[in-house]
Parts: sequence; C-alpha cells; structure tokens
Amino acid sequence: MRNGHADHIAGLIEPGRVHRDVYTDPDVFELEMERIFGQAWLFVGHTSQVPQPGDFITTELGRQPVIMVRHRDGGVHVLLNRCTHRGAKVVNERKGNAPRLTCCYHGWSFDTDGRLASVPVPEGCAADFDKAAFGLARAPRVGEYRGFVFASLAAKGPSLEDHIGPMKGNIDDLVDRAPDGTLALDVGMHRYAYNGNWKLQVENVLDSYHVPFGHASTVNKQGVQFARREGDQKGAAVVESEKKQTAASWKDRKSYIAGNGHGWTSNTALDDNKRSSPAFDEYKRVLAEKVGAERAQQILTPRLHNSLIYPNMSIMGLNIHVRVIKPIAVDRTEVTIYPVRLVGAPPAMNFGNIRLLNVTHSASSFVQTDDLESFVRAQKGLRSHATDWVDISRGLGDEEPDRELNATRALATHEMVVRAQYKAWLGYMREAA
Amino acid sequence: MDAPARALASPGIAGADRAPIEQFLIHEALLLDERRFRDWMGLFTDDGTYWVPAVPDQESPFDQASLFYDDRDLMRTRVERLEHPRIHVQTPPSRTAHLVGNVFVEEIDEDKGEYVVGSTVIMVEYRDEAQRVFAGRQRHRLRRDGAGFRIVQKRVDLINCDSAFEAMAVPI
Repeated sequence: MRNGHADHIAGLIEPGRVHRDVYTDPDVFELEMERIFGQAWLFVGHTSQVPQPGDFITTELGRQPVIMVRHRDGGVHVLLNRCTHRGAKVVNERKGNAPRLTCCYHGWSFDTDGRLASVPVPEGCAADFDKAAFGLARAPRVGEYRGFVFASLAAKGPSLEDHIGPMKGNIDDLVDRAPDGTLALDVGMHRYAYNGNWKLQVENVLDSYHVPFGHASTVNKQGVQFARREGDQKGAAVVESEKKQTAASWKDRKSYIAGNGHGWTSNTALDDNKRSSPAFDEYKRVLAEKVGAERAQQILTPRLHNSLIYPNMSIMGLNIHVRVIKPIAVDRTEVTIYPVRLVGAPPAMNFGNIRLLNVTHSASSFVQTDDLESFVRAQKGLRSHATDWVDISRGLGDEEPDRELNATRALATHEMVVRAQYKAWLGYMREAA
Repeated sequence: MDAPARALASPGIAGADRAPIEQFLIHEALLLDERRFRDWMGLFTDDGTYWVPAVPDQESPFDQASLFYDDRDLMRTRVERLEHPRIHVQTPPSRTAHLVGNVFVEEIDEDKGEYVVGSTVIMVEYRDEAQRVFAGRQRHRLRRDGAGFRIVQKRVDLINCDSAFEAMAVPI
C-alpha cells in the first residue's frame, strides 16, 4: 500500500477473502495504529488492579504508553504516559503506588489526576507559563462496565455503551460467576509474544475449526482433551477416535456475531453433571448461598467458550481469563492474559482456575504454544506471492439470524466471525480520524 | 503442598558432600537435553512438583499465575504431549544444552533424608533457526532414595520470568 486511500483499503477485503497485505504491509499497520487503535474503545485494565488511591498500572493503547491510576477522590484516570515537558515516559514500573507521578528527567511532578503539581526551579519558567496547561494528557474518552475500564484515544465516536452493548452479557457471564458479583485481576498475568501480525491472534480466539488438528497434541487416543476445569474428570471430545475426524459434538458448536466486529462461540460440550471436586463443590455451595440455588445453576451452566470484544480483547468462559492483544509491529505481537479471581469464591477454587490456566494459556502451556506456532508459520507463509489472497470463505452464505440472542449464528467451524472482523476493520480503516 | 521459598544466597553448609548431589543435578539436566522427558518425570516423587514462577520472589503458586506449576498429573499430560507426533511447536524439536553450576547445599535434614540444594542454571535452546538463552537460580528439594535421590520440589527462578516469552515447549 502506498497510501491510505479509501478505495485501496477497500480493495483488500472481498466477501470470502482478504489480501495478504493486511498481515504483511507495514503501511497498513501504521494506518491501523491511527484508525483502529487511535479511535476504537480499547480495554485498559480493571478497577481491581488499582484498589487504593495512588495505585497505578501502566500499559499500552496500541503503541502508546498509558497509566491507569486511582486518584484521592476514588476516580480512576487514564493518562498518557509522556511528560508534558520533554516527552520522557513518566512511570516506568508496571504497577505500584505513588502519591505523585514524577518524571525522572527534570523532576516534573504530576498529581494522580494528571494535574501538574510542581516544577523544579519554577522561577525559570516563562512568564506566561500556565501550569494548568501542562497536566499529563488524559485519554479523551474513558468508560467502565463492571470494573472493566475502556478508553478511546479519539475525542469523537460511538459511545462505550454503543460499542460494547451487544457484549455486556458476555462480560456478565464471567463476572456473575463470582459469588460477590465482582472480579479481581490481581492474580498475576501471563505474557507471550510471537513474530506475527496481531490479527492472527484476534482471529484465532473464535476459531473452532483449528482445534482438532491444531491442538491434536492435547488430545488422548480416545480423542478427548485433557481436563481443563477444576472438578472435570476429562476434557471435551474433540476428535472421533477411530477416523481421526472432528468429533460430531465439536462440529455442532456455534459461533455468533452481533455487530462491531465482536463475536463469541458457544460452550464446549462437557459433562457438567459429573463436575465435582472439593474445591468446585464448595464454590458451588458458596455461590448458591449468595445468589440462590436456581440462579447459581443458571450461572454454572456454560453458555460461552470465548468472546471477542473487537478489536483486541477477549474473555474466555472455559479457562476463565481476560486477554489483551497488543500490536508491536506488522509482524510482532504481544499478548497479556489475566487470570481472574472470583471474589468471594473459596481460595481452592481460584487456585484451581489459576493452575489450569498455567497449562492452557501461559507461554509454556499445552494449548497456546501450538497456536503460536501456527501464527508464526502464517506470517512466514504469507511472504509467498503464490497468491495474494487469504481464504476466509467457510460457510459464506450459511449465516442465519438468532432472534432470541439478537445475533447472527453460524457453525463455529465456519469463518463468519472472521468476515465480521474484517467488516469492522474496514469500517475503521476507511475513515480518516 | 508447601512450596519451596526463594531465599537469599546462602553460603552453603560447610563439609556437605556435594559430589553425589551435583552428579544428580547434572543427570537431571542431561535427561532434559536428551529429551528423555518420561525419565525426567520419573525423577520426581509421586507428590513432586515443578515450579517456574512468573514474577521475581513469587511467594506462592497457589494465588498467582506461574509459567509452570506441575504436579505429577499435569507433568504426565505435559510429557505425553511432548511425545505426541503432532506437537506443532516441536516440529522441529528444540535442542537444548543445560549448564548447572554454583551448587550449594543449603539445608540437610538427615532424619527425613532431605536436602535443599541451590544452583544456577543456564539453558540455551535452539529451534527453527532461532537460539535463545534462559538463565536463573534453581532450588531442588531432594529426598534420598536408596543410593540416589528423587525430586520433591524443583523451583526455577528465571531472571526474566516476568517478560513476554515466545512459546516455551520444553521444561527448563
């Protein structure tokens, strides 16, 4: 791509295929940083990461460093992590607590709401120097839903409500599992990286087609995956043992889209009646005590496998976690996986979730590592000019409305969700900020 | 289920016979380098655990994410996967060279026949045109077993444990 002209961008996306440039062209990547990551609502962090005044975390929105910090008045601010003086990154730690945020270079010091508090040697400032104009920049728009803090780097655009509206139920599905009705993202994180485009990971979180082959090494001779949830005796039937074909129950899974590039996949068929362990049974008891037996039963009936909040966040219902996909370069991506603590759940249940997430989604896990291999090989394969097109046509035309869920439905081994992502991608990319 | 704590470097126990312990640690490292993962797993006691924390000075594997925290059940799943013909992330397989040194015997409990041993480990891994280095301090709790030892707990504190890793398919 030589320029960001709308018709050129539009030419990269066709009904059942996308041009390889969307994964490999550095100019496309630069435009994505401006038009997607510079405009969209992006997940910043969870309020539980900054419980006390002065608590902060640092992260990135696209490639831009930001600070999420709790102020004395209890408000949570998202500040751009760049000194208003000479540009140095102000906060270098990943997390911490500080009464003020002080730049290491000349000592400019900012209050936890971003206001410039003090400047060393103030008599040297220009006569018309206005401290009020030199506060740390705030993300133009910030919003929150059940502790999940989102920000947009654009002053204008759809509201957070309009953006994540169709996905609120998916967030609720996870949060409601906590007996106290709230989550905490305070149990560490997994971080992994790969030499490949960010969208390879985004597309993968709702891809059920790859599982029987891509994750063959996690499946036993009977075609059953290892037990991935606390209390499960075994995992999902993924492969028909005899024929080495995808198992029927796996082929029946569904995927859904509901606008804005978001989507989700239905739950993995597991024997929930047999799910039992001391930790799980105690958790079930505590949950029922808090919300009532009927509601607890509803909450514990799995509905979702993975949900994608476009462009770069996902929530998993099987091995519960929150995932954020961070683009670094056109062929480099970093991913952060936050295990979630179900507040009010017995520690043994939270440990069960943590220990199994270690083996499903860490950099050294049984599941995620084979995905990373696929992403790396995709990026390598796409160097080939054998064809310029990447096929995403499975199930094209077979989508159907799901009126009950107010969504569009397809088989999960189809590629409707990927097509929906590129529709949203094009929506962002065609419009200059 | 108590986890081995990371302590500040100890000067070691004067007069402890390091030779058989060092030999055991070298043997363990060679099993990994030779990809004899099942034999490696066999070094652990039935209640043995293998832990690689995800942050420096991590106090517990029970309330925080870890790179690895395998009991024997999870270890078995890991080994079965490493033996699977279609483990894509090991096609081609990793080749590793471990170096174990700076060995200190830190604790001896003759009654239980248990030894806590600290050592420095460096693992160089080569796979698919890329070479990388893992390094850190490891601590083994060993239990005497006949003429040899078995591993009750192995903890590896990588110096870059909290960084973003590319896929790690083999144990350190």
